[in-house]
This record gives sequence, C-alpha cells and structure tokens, in this order.
Amino acid sequence: MDRDYTPSELMAVAGARELRDREVVAVGLGLPVVASFLAKMTHAPEMTILFELGVIDPEPKDQGVGLADPRVWYRARVLSSFVDILGSILHKGRVDVGFLGGLETDRFGNLNTSLVGDPKGKFRHMVGSGGANDIASSARRTIIIMRHEERKLKQAISFVTSPGYIGGGDSRERAGLRGGPSKVITDKAIFGFHPETREMMLLSIHPGTTVEDVLDTMGFSPVVPGRVPSTEPPTADQLRLIREQIDPQRMYMG
Amino acid sequence: MSKVAALAEAVASVPSGAHIALSGFAITRCTMAFAREVIRQGITGLTISQCVGAMDADLLVGAGLVDRIIHGGGSLDRFGRLACVNRGIENGSLHAEEYSSLSVAFRYLAGALGLPFIPIRSLRGSDLLKQLEERAASELASIADPFTGEDWLALKPLLPDVAVVQVQIADQDGNAWIRGPRWDNAEQARASRRTIVLAEQIVPGETIRQDPERTIIPGLLVSHVVELPFGAHPTTVYGVYDYDAPEIERYVEATRTPESVRAYLDEYVYGVKDHQGYLEKVGGQQHLSALLADPVLGY
Repeated sequence: MDRDYTPSELMAVAGARELRDREVVAVGLGLPVVASFLAKMTHAPEMTILFELGVIDPEPKDQGVGLADPRVWYRARVLSSFVDILGSILHKGRVDVGFLGGLETDRFGNLNTSLVGDPKGKFRHMVGSGGANDIASSARRTIIIMRHEERKLKQAISFVTSPGYIGGGDSRERAGLRGGPSKVITDKAIFGFHPETREMMLLSIHPGTTVEDVLDTMGFSPVVPGRVPSTEPPTADQLRLIREQIDPQRMYMG
Repeated sequence: MSKVAALAEAVASVPSGAHIALSGFAITRCTMAFAREVIRQGITGLTISQCVGAMDADLLVGAGLVDRIIHGGGSLDRFGRLACVNRGIENGSLHAEEYSSLSVAFRYLAGALGLPFIPIRSLRGSDLLKQLEERAASELASIADPFTGEDWLALKPLLPDVAVVQVQIADQDGNAWIRGPRWDNAEQARASRRTIVLAEQIVPGETIRQDPERTIIPGLLVSHVVELPFGAHPTTVYGVYDYDAPEIERYVEATRTPESVRAYLDEYVYGVKDHQGYLEKVGGQQHLSALLADPVLGY
C-alpha cells in the first residue's frame, strides 16, 4: 500500500503525540523541533518550548542551521542563558520532557553522541554532550528519536554520553538520577521500557513493517509482548502543518 | 585611563599559557577577529574554555596554539563538526576535558560567586564522568550533602585568566550589552580575573546610562574595550549581521586536513595585516553590507 507520508513525518507525529498540554519541553534541533511545534499547534497550545542556550517559546518563521542560528530564536518570549534554562528550569526539576537524538543507543536507552570506535584506541570524535547529558540527567522523562539501523541500536555502545537506565533495574536511581527515557521512536517502531528490568520493549510497529523486520534490523533483542499494535499514522492535518508551516524547506525532515 | 584599545594591543595583554574563556557558541558571536590576531601574534600553550565548543576555539586549535580545552562538546551546527578540535582529540595532541553544557556553566557560576565548589546532578552514570576522573581528577569529587547525607558530584570553579567576549555594544569603560541569548558569557566574565570586550560598536556612556538594565557585563570587570565591527565574521552577531555561509563552508572545507588548515591560515590570517585586511580579503564593504541584519528579524 502506498503511504502519503515519509518515515520522518511519522516519527515527528509520534513524537508530538508524546507531549501533553502545559508541559515544559527541552528540545534540540531537527525532528524534535518539528514534533514540538506540531504538538503546540495542535493539542498542546500551552506547552513551553526551551532551547538550552537561553531561548523560551520562539516562533520561527525561517528554518535555521542549528540552535545557534538567530532564525530559530525569532519571536521568543525569553532570551537568557544556560544557567537560566539548564540551571533554574532543568536542574531545578521543572522540565517534563527532554527530546534526545544520538549516534547510538543500547537496550537501556543510554545514548552516545561523543565518538565512534574504541575510546581507548582508534576512534572518530563527533559532537559530545552539549545539553544532552544535562537533559538526560534531570528531565522527568526523555524521548529518544533515532533512525532504525543495526549500527545505531546496539548491544554495546562506544561511549555513554547521556545515561538512560545505565545497566538496567534500579541502577539509574542508584546513580542519583531522576526520570529516564520513556519512549524510543525510530522510523520502524516505537519502544518503551520494561517497568522492572528497564529493557527496551516493543510497543508498536509502523504501518508497512513487520515485527521480524524490526527485530532483524537492530543489534539487540528488545522485550516483545504477545500482541504488537500498529502505530497510528499521521493525519492529513498534521502533515499539512509540517509541510506548509513548520518545515516548508524540509531542512529538519531530511 | 581609557580602556579603549586597538585589537593588537588587547591581544598582546594575553600571555602565552593563559586560560581564556571565549564567548562563541557554534557559529554565533565567536571571537574570530581576536583568534586571528592571537594566531598572528603567536601566543601559545593556551587553555580554552566555553560551554559549547565553537568556531573561535577550533581555529585556535587548528593553528596549534591550544594545549588544553575545557568544554561541553560542540559543532558548527549543520555546517559541520569542530574538525581541528576533533583531530586533536583523536591523535592525542589536544588535552580535552569534556563536560556537558551545564556542568561548564556551573563551574563558571561557582567561579563567578567565589564559591569553592558547586554540586551538580549532571554527568553521573556517564562515561563523560569516567573520562574526567582519568583526565581531570583534581577538578571533581564525590561529596555528601551536609544536611541530608545524600551523595553529590561536586565541581571546582573555573577561574579563567581572561574572558574574551564579542558583544553588540559597549561604552569606553567596558559596560557591555549583549542582545539575544547570552549562553555562558555573563558567568564567564564574572568568573575570570578580567574581561576583554570586543564591541561591534562603542557608544557614549550616556547611551548605556539611559538603558542600564541591558548591561550584561559591568565595566568594572573589563580591562580592554576594542571597537571591532564584523569581529565575529564569518559567524553571526544577533541583530547586527548574519553568518556568512559560503565563508563558513570554506572553513569547513579547509579544516579537512592539517595541510589545508595551514593553507587557510596562510591566506586568511597570516596573509593579511590585520582585521581590516581580513575584511577586505573576504569581499570588503559591499560583501559585508549584504550580511547586515534586518532589525525586526535580528538576522
């Protein structure tokens, strides 16, 4: 069956559905921006959007190359600082949701944005943390958005930049951290985490894919319940907002 | 005594081996003209800190002047990665202490407030912490909350020798306004022994007095004020000019190998006499005026 939406659009819509009205959301650029603005323009008009460097509730009319681009600060309500956003809002405990992407994640939702290869041997250094580690440590919950590939969903990742459930069970609490990842959204499926073992658990698969395909294209075995429903596809209204208002130049949607 | 100085004079006040906090964030308000003059003067053995690594630090690393970097990771946003910093980390020539944005900001904040340490929730349970315990063990410690007994990670303050901050407007005493988000700049200036302000425009002190709530850096922290139009080029200064995308792309291309970095430095840094020469080199007034920001949009 032909679908009238792209995998990225489905991921953005699935991300938007995770956000509730009046929540405070810390966002990085790319798909999370699309998901957050979509939620705000539909079911969550009173949601607050934060960018780590000191931006609250912007209303950009042009797409930017990153958080440092003044295009994405346009019509913000507050322009301040790291200590304000990541300190007095995030570290204080006022962020409900953090959106995170990365190079790699493992079955406990630990994220690597630092390097690929062997950190003690030959490796390629990438970006590092930015605010990702801070968000992963202090947000009430985090949502991970990532391409569904074996080299990204791995049994063992090269470097834990941002902790998820660390080694599973209560190891996150023992490290003194609150929250933790609630969902992982890929272009094939949506995962949650088992309430006790904290292992990644398949929640739904996107239309057009199969459980076998989802499992064959990842580097570890998630918990698979007896019945796996199909992810709800985007609505025509959601697609129109993404294409016409949020990302008309397709800078974030690839 | 006036603090107004020429760029060369302000740069010459920074000794080799100094710890410099730089104001850049990725491709925004980077201290590019300052970095180019540091390279021309050959000030070496530097420690550079900033919350998010930016183009100013990458250029200095590319020129071989930096021994140590303290930051929370960084990039040139969609333009690319910090190729010189990354190469230095990969081949071991750069001592990198990698944190998160907030942990560097908290270290500046502790320095700004004169505190002996600051507790933080970030970094715990991560390989960033394990790596810091190997590379910078004297900068962090586990402590018990004296009131509840709860375990915390404590960080030492960051106390740079000098903060170098590119701003939109300052007066000749160094009272500086930063428009747009300020990321770590206010804490950098307060944590450092002194600050060099690089202003797109120097305005009369009376202008500052009419809107003093806009002053982010008080002049009492400042040793030098340099009037430096397009001082962040090719990066952007909110409300003044946009980034110069083709020139950032030229830099990204040039930083692919150490040899091409050298060729870039020869042409754009050593090959010009000063900042004015650089601005002529990249196209002069006609080219630069096309980058001027729309006053409503800010870019």
